[in-house]
Amino acid sequence: MIERLHRAWVLIWPEFHRQNREHLDSYFTFSNYRKIWGIGIFVLAASALLPLIAVTVIHSQLIQKSVDSELILRTERLTSNARRAVTFFLEERLNALRFTVNEIQYAQLTNPDHLAEILRNLKLGFGGLTDLSVIDQTGIQIAYAGPFKLKGKNYSSQPWFVECRNCNFYVSEIFRGYRDLPHIIIVAKSFRSDGTYFLLRATLETERLIQTLSSYETGAYADIFLTNRFGILQTPSKYYGDIFEKINLPVPDYSARTQALLGTDDQGRSIITGYAFILTHNQVAETPFILMVIKQKAGMVGVWQELRSNLNWLVGLGIMVIIIVITLTCTYMVNRLYGADRAKAETMALMEQNNQLASIGQLAAGVAHEINNPLALINETAGYVKDLFIIKKQYQKDEELLENIDYILEAVERCGTITKQLLGFARKFDVKIEKVNLKEVISDVLIFHRKEAEYRNINVHVDVPEDIPEIETDRGKLQQILLNLVNNAFQAVDAGCCLDIDVASGGPDEICITVSDNGCGMPEENLQKIFDPFFTTKERDQGTGLGLTITYGLIKKLHGDLAVESKKNVGTTFIITLPVSIEEETGDHENSFSRR
Amino acid sequence: MKQYHLLIVDDEKRFADMLAKRLDLRGCKCDVCYSGQEALNILERKKFFLILLDLHLPDIYGSEVLSRIKEIDDTTPVIILTGHGTEKDRRQCMQQGAYAFMHKPLGIEELLSILAQIGEMAA
Repeated sequence: MIERLHRAWVLIWPEFHRQNREHLDSYFTFSNYRKIWGIGIFVLAASALLPLIAVTVIHSQLIQKSVDSELILRTERLTSNARRAVTFFLEERLNALRFTVNEIQYAQLTNPDHLAEILRNLKLGFGGLTDLSVIDQTGIQIAYAGPFKLKGKNYSSQPWFVECRNCNFYVSEIFRGYRDLPHIIIVAKSFRSDGTYFLLRATLETERLIQTLSSYETGAYADIFLTNRFGILQTPSKYYGDIFEKINLPVPDYSARTQALLGTDDQGRSIITGYAFILTHNQVAETPFILMVIKQKAGMVGVWQELRSNLNWLVGLGIMVIIIVITLTCTYMVNRLYGADRAKAETMALMEQNNQLASIGQLAAGVAHEINNPLALINETAGYVKDLFIIKKQYQKDEELLENIDYILEAVERCGTITKQLLGFARKFDVKIEKVNLKEVISDVLIFHRKEAEYRNINVHVDVPEDIPEIETDRGKLQQILLNLVNNAFQAVDAGCCLDIDVASGGPDEICITVSDNGCGMPEENLQKIFDPFFTTKERDQGTGLGLTITYGLIKKLHGDLAVESKKNVGTTFIITLPVSIEEETGDHENSFSRR
Repeated sequence: MKQYHLLIVDDEKRFADMLAKRLDLRGCKCDVCYSGQEALNILERKKFFLILLDLHLPDIYGSEVLSRIKEIDDTTPVIILTGHGTEKDRRQCMQQGAYAFMHKPLGIEELLSILAQIGEMAA
């Protein structure tokens, strides 16, 4: 469970984000793992998401165009149908007037009773007619049938009458006129045998026309109405004003065909405008009407927009999933790469450390060699001087001089011991199993610290019982192990403290070497990590953090084990367990620390 | 002390001479030479009780000299006395039949005890 939680945590906050590895920087193949991680996510996300986004946008635009095209087509069809209905409405009534003037004599038409009869029949046949009147070419109303008393009224100055002089049929705009009610007048002109003409005029109620238009309204977002060519509403509009108001939409340019186009209205709503100029059949009469069908796009494309919204959510969700998967994958991969690189860097650092140690060993050997010859000469010369005194009795015996010669010989002996130690240190890189006397090895190691122990007043106690046998092991490696542990102990203790090195039998085939001090000790949490490479509690540049790692590796190489006990401010004890004898490994690299 | 006849082979002239003088004082007769070839020439003519041989000689390396000495006279013990000996040298010389492999500086008493030891063995 804890392992799983740890793995999850590594994915969320990976090692390369938090690792401080300054001391290893130069060994890493890649320097900036966060950058690699960022670039990895960006490139993968870009290559995965760009095609998806591009396809989504193109698909969306195609759908949009297709929907627009469909909406335009439907609006055009609706406009066309409504246009036919309005045209038919007007043509039907114009043709009725035409039939009347052609079939019925002028005298009969001017007879009020007959005219009233005709009006009644027309109302029965077509409906929507208010009155009927006959006007001569001077503009005087000669006969009238209808609810108003308009007989004798002079229309000569009315614009419609003026226009009728030049055409045979006329359809007016919707206007209020004398009766103050919206109405349309339609006029048919007829010539008499004497060359004069008269006009048969009918007044149409607008209700029937409005009803006809209303029947073509489809849904709440559609608006259908008539305007004149100046944009004045001829029938009431649902959204753009009442009758006789000016619409806030551009008046379309003349076109003989029904048209539909996309645009926006004065309130910024996206609309589809269908329009048609109303012309009667064969263009017998021009009308002032423009049929307009306005559809609000938002209402018309509701279903599609919902679909698009769902699709967008789906794509958005997909993008999020892709980004999460890419991020997690990148994190995992980069973390693995980082782990491998770190392991490599640690190995390289260890190798360099080993090489440095080997170089120090070679240097020590070189120095020891070079010193040995002059040392031998001093030894022999001083010895000879002493011989002159003692053996040849050639000179008068001078106690002081003899004493000084003894000092020289003693110093030479000490130097000789040190150079032998240095050579021994250098030899630790040779793999060699031999019989090793532990007392000697410990004594050899402590020679390096004798002066320091005296100077710092550190009490060093060595206890090797007489019955401890010589063990078969690698002397050089054992020396280095002990040297490292003694070095550590010396760094941990203050003046007046103790360092104990005890050897004891650990069973028939094992011996235990205990190196304990009563120095500063370590907190328990550090005990878990002290054998990790580069773990150090020393200040920067004071320790490499490799000493105990190498020591541990060397002990494993000797088929032994290393345990540690420590208590803060009480002291530390290292317990080395070694087999009494081991066999030399064949084909083993001497500086390799791999465990078998 | 029994008078032993020793050959000291060392290119460090002062060291060789001084060691010869000191052994002489202790009743040993010492011949001294400073190169490998010189030593081999002497050995063609003379027989010694013990040969003290340095490794880093100017003409022939000590182990090679040892090998040739053994060809001339297999019975004379040879002690390698060097300031430059490595573990590899030690192993090689011991395999070639050196009596001992010792590092400079060497105490005169230690050398005398070895002489005594060889003397006892010879007797």
